[in-house]
Amino acid sequence: MGLGEALRSWLRVRGRSAEHVSFAVRRLAGVVLALYLVVHMVDISTLLMGEHVYSAFLQVFASPIGLVFDVVLWVFLVLHGALGLYSALVEAGLLLERRKVLLAAAWAAALLLLVVGVVVILYVMG
Amino acid sequence: MKVRLVVRRWKEGWRAPRYDVFEVEADPSESVLDLVERVSLKLDPTLTFEHACHHGVCGACGMVVNGVERLTCVTRVGDVARNGVILVEPLHGFKVVSDLVVDKSRMFSRYPDDTRTLERVAARVEKLWDCVECGICYSACPVACSYPSYLGPSVLAWAFHRAVEEGMVPAPVASGSGVWSCHAAFDCSEKCPVNFQPGEKIMRLRRLLLRGAVEVV
Repeated sequence: MGLGEALRSWLRVRGRSAEHVSFAVRRLAGVVLALYLVVHMVDISTLLMGEHVYSAFLQVFASPIGLVFDVVLWVFLVLHGALGLYSALVEAGLLLERRKVLLAAAWAAALLLLVVGVVVILYVMG
Repeated sequence: MKVRLVVRRWKEGWRAPRYDVFEVEADPSESVLDLVERVSLKLDPTLTFEHACHHGVCGACGMVVNGVERLTCVTRVGDVARNGVILVEPLHGFKVVSDLVVDKSRMFSRYPDDTRTLERVAARVEKLWDCVECGICYSACPVACSYPSYLGPSVLAWAFHRAVEEGMVPAPVASGSGVWSCHAAFDCSEKCPVNFQPGEKIMRLRRLLLRGAVEVV
């Protein structure tokens, strides 16, 4: 079984339930965050090359493109966190009968946090 | 109603699958299986598929219909046709034998000791409780479709019943290829034609294991 087949089965959304779509979003967000961790390690490693290199690198993230990057990162972080909390509860066998309500609450909390976070990033940090 | 039945075809020796289109006249209340059977009898005798009971009991006719796993014998044409089109594919997560026929042996022979295969144990207890062994839960599960060693939803749900009744589960059930591989996508439960709820049972079995309420043998 190849990687392509695995990805297709994870990210299949046609005809899938809300739980499966949430699984797909959570997994995709997890992969993106794992990739970001690598970028972040490279980012802070520039300190080894001196403060001026690190500061120059930081300037990239302070630019408008950097803000867009922050927004995207925040979206994935919140989705992974909120849906991960839902997943942790039901995967421990808790609230199974009310899992659809719990999932709806997780999505609602995620959307609220997304809006708050994006406003903070664009209007306060920006 | 006029129906355009699109069937995913593949036979041993073919380099790639292809999609064949059959234009057929259908009654909206007849089953998708009836349609497939008619095509096989009248239009293309080489079209292969599985069926037996025709009333949702044997579990043989599970297929993916317009992207959703269904028992085709209890799926009405009028309920699933989209703009007159019905796309029929074999179940995911199993090796395709020919056209719409898949090899479901991964569901029946997952225990390492072959004297305790699902079929043999099930023979002395009620047949998998309410499960019809159609394999739809495997096809719907993203883990079963990407992790061949995963025991799979119906086997684990069966193990839950055994744990409740006998207080023990086979070691593979409590291993990394057992209950701990499930990631709560719950499409096994959503697509199960008999509401066997494998996803919920896997999570309940996890809870029993976490509490030390069942013995791993």
